[in-house]
Amino acid sequence: MINLSLKRVTSVWIIAILVVFVITAIFGITMRFNQGGDIELSPVTFFSLMTAHGVTMVGIWSVAGMMAVNYLMARYVKVSTAVNVFALVLTVIGLVMLWTSTFVGYFHAGWTFLYPLPFFVAWESWATPLFLYSIAIFGIGWTVWTVAMLMQIYKKYSLAQSFAWQHFKRGYLVETPPFILITTVSLIGILICLITAVILLVLLFAEYYSNGTFTNDALLIKNLTYFFGHTIINEALYLGVATLYELFPEVSGRPKFKTTWYVALAWNCTLVFVLTAFFHHLYMDFVQPVGLQLVGQFASYFASLPSAAVTVFSIVILVYKNPIKWSLTNTLFFIGVIGWIIGGFGAVIDATISNNFVLHNTLWVPAHFHTYNAMGNVLFSLAFFYWVANEFAGTKVVPRSEKLRIGLLLIGGFGFVLMFYIAGAYSIPRRYSVYPDELALGRNLASYGGWFATIYVIAILLFLGEIVNKCLKVFSPRSSAAA
Amino acid sequence: MSKSIFSKIICCCLILSVVQFAQAQKGKFDFSEEKNVYNQIADVPVLTKDGTQKLSVLYSRSPLIVALIFTRCTGICSPLLLNLSEQISHLHTDPKENFKVLVISFDPRDQFEDMARMAKQYARENDPNWIFAVTPQISELTSSLAFNPVWDEDRQQLDHEALLSGINTDGYVTKNLIGLRDQQAIYSLIKSINNEFILSYPLPGNNNFLSCFSYDPSTGKKSWSWGMFLLVLPAIIAAGIVTILVNQKKTLHHN
Amino acid sequence: MSLQPKLLLIFLFTAGAIAITAWFIYSTSKLSSQEHGGMENPLRKRFTAFIILFALSAVFLSITIPKSPYFRFSGENPSHVVFIAAKQYNFIMSNQAIDPKKPGGGEDIVIPADELVEFRVTSLDVNHGFGIYDSRGEIVAQTQAMPGYVNRLRWRFITPGHYNIFCLEYCGNAHSFMRGSLTVTEAAAEK
Ligand code: HEM
Ligand SMILES: [Cu+2]
Repeated sequence: MINLSLKRVTSVWIIAILVVFVITAIFGITMRFNQGGDIELSPVTFFSLMTAHGVTMVGIWSVAGMMAVNYLMARYVKVSTAVNVFALVLTVIGLVMLWTSTFVGYFHAGWTFLYPLPFFVAWESWATPLFLYSIAIFGIGWTVWTVAMLMQIYKKYSLAQSFAWQHFKRGYLVETPPFILITTVSLIGILICLITAVILLVLLFAEYYSNGTFTNDALLIKNLTYFFGHTIINEALYLGVATLYELFPEVSGRPKFKTTWYVALAWNCTLVFVLTAFFHHLYMDFVQPVGLQLVGQFASYFASLPSAAVTVFSIVILVYKNPIKWSLTNTLFFIGVIGWIIGGFGAVIDATISNNFVLHNTLWVPAHFHTYNAMGNVLFSLAFFYWVANEFAGTKVVPRSEKLRIGLLLIGGFGFVLMFYIAGAYSIPRRYSVYPDELALGRNLASYGGWFATIYVIAILLFLGEIVNKCLKVFSPRSSAAA
Repeated sequence: MSKSIFSKIICCCLILSVVQFAQAQKGKFDFSEEKNVYNQIADVPVLTKDGTQKLSVLYSRSPLIVALIFTRCTGICSPLLLNLSEQISHLHTDPKENFKVLVISFDPRDQFEDMARMAKQYARENDPNWIFAVTPQISELTSSLAFNPVWDEDRQQLDHEALLSGINTDGYVTKNLIGLRDQQAIYSLIKSINNEFILSYPLPGNNNFLSCFSYDPSTGKKSWSWGMFLLVLPAIIAAGIVTILVNQKKTLHHN
Repeated sequence: MSLQPKLLLIFLFTAGAIAITAWFIYSTSKLSSQEHGGMENPLRKRFTAFIILFALSAVFLSITIPKSPYFRFSGENPSHVVFIAAKQYNFIMSNQAIDPKKPGGGEDIVIPADELVEFRVTSLDVNHGFGIYDSRGEIVAQTQAMPGYVNRLRWRFITPGHYNIFCLEYCGNAHSFMRGSLTVTEAAAEK
């Protein structure tokens, strides 16, 4: 049941996420213009912005997925508003701590805070623990939320049903909706990487408070770091895909998606392989056993290919030569899928060890993950925001500036990532505040990227106004009377 | 069907990694071991029980572990040989990985007879894999191995490092070991003279118990260490949580 | 053509194809009417598409895995060893082994072309990256520098010239300024 309190907390989430997104995207634009030489920041400011940008973006788009899934789940099972609010409060507290550590304390070890860099303090000494505690606060809020959602799923579905295993046989009684299947797979993945984050934080705190009597092994910590970091950003995207499965047919006026054996197989593959794909972050660490490197390449291919292929094909069959009621919601989903597979293809290129040898830690990396985030996951969430805002407002209007907004989004978004790809192919390193003269090409590309990103953010602002207005409707006295 | 193939591939890869990780962990490391890697050993004539031949004839037949000693040594020489002999006898080497041990004197006073006596002492006089030898061109040999014994006046002894040099079939030094080393180190020496390329090796750390694999030099055993366990732990904990959640449903159902 | 521009072209071509296909599919959804709707034989088409995709990735895997840097030059004897100790914010490079307790200033590195070099790379503080750039500013080879471990990177330089080393792992606020260099000379006449 979707009740008023769920609508209200969802509204707050949406407004908060969009506002924080625009601010954080402006951090990104600032970085790009600094790399382009258009403005001049100190390296410390640049890397503080970069650290805040990375953690905040990963955080808000993970919770955006969680929050959307939580809302839609209410169609199938009971959900707890209390836990939802709890997660919201902890996320806000965590964000305040995070930004304090990066902007007041100048903590700037990057969003992956790769050991032992956080302990080579080049900032206020309290900023390291504050940063780590902010991650811990996010972790607590989201873990509780994840477990609570899984609990509701398992009140209704058995273990086998939650993974749609009955679809591998003929003649089954209960159908698992694709939404439930994908949500379960993603939530379990998120749970696993949050537990990894706990282990990681415990090891780091152990070293921090041991006064030098305990030191960590850099290889182990790097494995744990990317287990957490890589996995969470991928699972966040899958949450967005879950909302797509639920809403895309519905708003297009087509029959609902059905779970079949290959849908079930694809997502079960994802569940397993996504957990070992992170090894591709260690390809250039020759100390990592070669066996794990090969597992990394294999898993990188088979974690994303089956589920992406199944999703794309389902959408193609649904759309091809069928009368579709196009609205902003399904258009955003549709573009999001394109962004996802283009970004995914960029990822597969880089997840190939022999290519990674020349692409590792170049701008190719931000290129591909910004493609499937800014032009994939963000659009999935935006589609949901737009849809739910209209639900809240009880409207079905097709606004006039639709073409404009989509056009700006496409030009700005793809232009922005294209500059990253070209720079990556020209060996421009990632995470450089400015580029050396030998790599001066990176400067022009960065400037262009900054301008494209500005166009993208303008498009987002055009959405933001309308969505926020409609979301605020759930707080009007009329809507509480209706409930 | 296809799933089981996947899992087999992954298992194979995992086993491979365990082996390689163990190789990466070679115990203590001395940076001066790296002094002359990939230099070529001097092709001096050596006198063995098969007569005089060029060193290149020996190493081109099979790679060598060269131990530089002298028979009058009261210091490190005999522990070095004893340890080497002991470790090798417990090794389960791959038949592919052939090698011979060349024990050669750097003391001009040593005659071949001294070396033959030494071979008897270590019960290796009939072992085809152990060659005891002397050479007339000691200084060429020692300098090509960056081995610098110094004369200690007080003890009337040559003072020197306990050095084992690995020579591959092209005559290159692929690896050195300094000091009395464990089986794992000897094994990696054998691998390297058989031209097996090991991509990486660890430096000595203050704390190794949280690395992915650990190797205990005192017992000579390697084990899965806590580190590797920590990488699978999250999935185990999550599985536990999900199991609890699944069972919770059933109890509710019955009530 | 080196690898990077090829990859960019493959990527742009594929992305373009995806975009055009998407546009085409999108446009069919507007023209059609309820009666003639839908794809013919979707099950067969989907099956074929999956088989093709699976075969393609299998081909990709089997072609690329053997080209992984771990297996290259592994059976050969390098004629030069260069030791690298990375630290915030420079690379100490030397032809001699570097004592981690007393790392010196290092020296200029000169390597003849066409000879196999082995770089032994480690870090004295945080993680760094050892990225070798040719004179056109293109990465030719790289490995990570991780504290506590020594990574061995083997490479054979073909083109003589000046090569820059840039740090390829974020290591702090002067990361963008961390650099080194080496020179590759003409191949020795004989050999
Ligand atoms: C218009 C929007 C955006 C702009 C302008 C932008 C810009 C940037 C820039 C300039 C960097 C640094 C690149 C470098 O390494 O040199 C960066 C890094 C990053 N961005 Fe974005 N970005 C945007 C959206 C996003 C989104 C939607 C995500 C979602 C997850 C995201 C996640 C990240 C992450 C994780 C990093 C890495 C930070 C690090 O290296 O520590 N960004 N972004
Ligand atoms: Cu560095």
